Amino acid sequence: MLYTFKKGVHPPQNKYTGKTPITVMPPTEKVFVPLSQHIGKPAVAVVSEGETVRRGQLIAKADGFVSANVFSPIGGVVESVNRPGETPNGKSLHIVIKKSDESEDGEAFTLPPLVSPTGREIIDRVRDAGIVGMGGAGFPTHVKLSPKEKVDTFIINGAECEPFITCDHRIMLEYTAEFLRGALYLASALGLNEAYVGIEDNKPDAISAVEDRAERDNLRVKVIKLKSKYPQGAEKQLIYAATGRKVPAGGLPSAVGCVVDNVHTALSTCFAVEKGETLYKRVLTITGDAIAKPQNLWVNTGTPYRDVISFAGGATKTLGKIVSGGPMMGFAVYGDEVSVSKTTSCVLLLGEERARLSEPSQCINCARCASACPMRLMPMFIDKAMGAGDLKTAEKYGVNYCIECGSCAYVCPAARPLVQTMRLAKKKIREAKK
Amino acid sequence: MNDLVVSSSPHIKNSSSTRRIMLDVLIALIPVTAAAIVFFGHTVALNVLFCSLFCYGAELLYDLILTKSFTREGVKKSSCHDLSCLVTGVLLALNLPPYFDVWGLNIYAGETVAFSFDALFACLIGSVFAIVAAKKLFGGIGRNIVNPALSGRVFLFMCFGAGFAAKADVFDAVSSATWLSSKSAVDGSVLLDMFIGKTGSAAVGETCVIALIVSYAYLVIRRVIDWRLPLVTIVSTAVFALVFDGLLKGVSGDTLWLNTLAHVLSGGVVFGAVFMVTDYATSPNSTLGKMIFATGVGLITVLIRVYASYPEGVSFAILIMNIFTPLIDRYVYPRPFGATRGNKK
Repeated sequence: MLYTFKKGVHPPQNKYTGKTPITVMPPTEKVFVPLSQHIGKPAVAVVSEGETVRRGQLIAKADGFVSANVFSPIGGVVESVNRPGETPNGKSLHIVIKKSDESEDGEAFTLPPLVSPTGREIIDRVRDAGIVGMGGAGFPTHVKLSPKEKVDTFIINGAECEPFITCDHRIMLEYTAEFLRGALYLASALGLNEAYVGIEDNKPDAISAVEDRAERDNLRVKVIKLKSKYPQGAEKQLIYAATGRKVPAGGLPSAVGCVVDNVHTALSTCFAVEKGETLYKRVLTITGDAIAKPQNLWVNTGTPYRDVISFAGGATKTLGKIVSGGPMMGFAVYGDEVSVSKTTSCVLLLGEERARLSEPSQCINCARCASACPMRLMPMFIDKAMGAGDLKTAEKYGVNYCIECGSCAYVCPAARPLVQTMRLAKKKIREAKK
Repeated sequence: MNDLVVSSSPHIKNSSSTRRIMLDVLIALIPVTAAAIVFFGHTVALNVLFCSLFCYGAELLYDLILTKSFTREGVKKSSCHDLSCLVTGVLLALNLPPYFDVWGLNIYAGETVAFSFDALFACLIGSVFAIVAAKKLFGGIGRNIVNPALSGRVFLFMCFGAGFAAKADVFDAVSSATWLSSKSAVDGSVLLDMFIGKTGSAAVGETCVIALIVSYAYLVIRRVIDWRLPLVTIVSTAVFALVFDGLLKGVSGDTLWLNTLAHVLSGGVVFGAVFMVTDYATSPNSTLGKMIFATGVGLITVLIRVYASYPEGVSFAILIMNIFTPLIDRYVYPRPFGATRGNKK
């Protein structure tokens, strides 16, 4: 039995790298580690220029509850602690670290491993290791693990519904036991003793790998087979598919007793608990129609995209667009000097052809946007209302419910920037309410 | 590295376009047009040609006059290239009789009409009305309130009503009048004739139900139309016909069912259901709204057929429901996912 949600779209999957094992990208000469790799306040640097740091050492401390620690991905010397720069989500200060020759094999700094930890210990460890939601949003995980409401269901999001991206797929295959143990650590931090893993049916190998491993290791993990459809991995849609519960508007998943975490988050949690590893590297997919060797890589945070691109053989044609994340919800970046962060699941390179923006034409009222919208909104009316600057009508047709999945703009035959207009509408409504 | 495109997501789009949708509708119109030519003769082909040309020309000329740029650039910018004007043209031609007899300018070859100048003028008037009055004056594609082809047809019908007398040159006189005006006894062979399209009609495209089913299948497979809409229209017509032209009139037994079936198969019900009720701009955008719209078309069709002075009412029914579309859209739209009842905002 396949579970799913209503409506949605079927973009071509383009998962070129689903069968490519993860390789390790060697550390680069210099890393530019953003202080803001998560939702919330940027971390505050705790090292100073000229200081020697070890791999895995804390270099910036969480500023408040909704924030996360940042660690050095390499051993070396701090060159700068406040270099301004761009991240896919806006400006941030970066800590620049130059690799020192002898430190390459230097022992990493680790926290003491935990043996059969309590829930409290796990939450503390997740916070200390700087773990955030690694699917893209970067919500600090320790905040998610401290819900106000009673939680009865913990779900790992292995849907990976975005086209192109395969890093979660590969982790589920190559680190099956680790990520499942991590999932159970997260579940136990919530006071639960079992976890669900939602996986789309386009990854049958991952489904059977997880099921086999759970049985062999006697782990209390259940796989929920999901229909391959976008946005199956959107939190609200995933929860609905898995439990039939609807997250209320403006509410968090915990309002319906659920917490959802990403596959990679579970893996990092496992490493943090069992090996005391802090979070300074991740698996990402470098892919697209303009990269020579699409593949899955272990990359240090702070590695500039340009180094990742050249490691993957460089661009094969004139680049039109570099996207951080998937093609449906990822962020187009201004240049290849942007660094990999904890949330960079994918670096997508599109050639000029595919990056070209199509000229919008008049809405023909075909209502395809409405039949694609997983939130059951009426994008064509919101678009029309926004054309007249009418925020009230935009609200009437539900713009504040928009999860910005982009399905409406994807299907629009008139190529209208629907989701983009809805983003603008939400922003304007927020501003008007201030 | 400087000329990277930086835009808000999504970064991919499917291959659909307005032009492709209109092309699909044109393809879906091929079997219907072919059947009409077979049953009503070559003048139908001429009408299709005239109406397409005039609609295309009207749209192009309107854009050129409005933008005041009679240049190649102006032609390029015209909205006529989205092909929706051709759809209007073909639909209009299929909604007309095979030829007109208004000013007596027809050229005859023996008994049959070889070339109808009357039809040429009628097509011109109808096309210009459809494109300019019904569509462009309201803002063009997607913004028109009423279906352009249908308003063109109704305009011509009002002007030259006599020209709309049912014609069926290829059939014998018995079956040439439509069932709706004669309401003669229905039996299996009459129904079969209606199904195949061997019946007279004032609109050449609406008779051959087989061809319409092929068109319907194509449009559904290409996902151009919502498959439920034509079915709801037809079922609604059948149910209301059963009630108003059957049960309320005390009809019973087999006649009741045969008459109901005849109501669905004759006139423009199937044609309207497949091509007109599913028109994007003039039907509501929510699924529930569309169903209300389709049901309304069935109801008004039957009311006109049974109680009004016209034998047929599909065109009027659709036009009337077109006018209700903005109202339906205003009040009927889905509750967002996760919203609680009574709290749409």
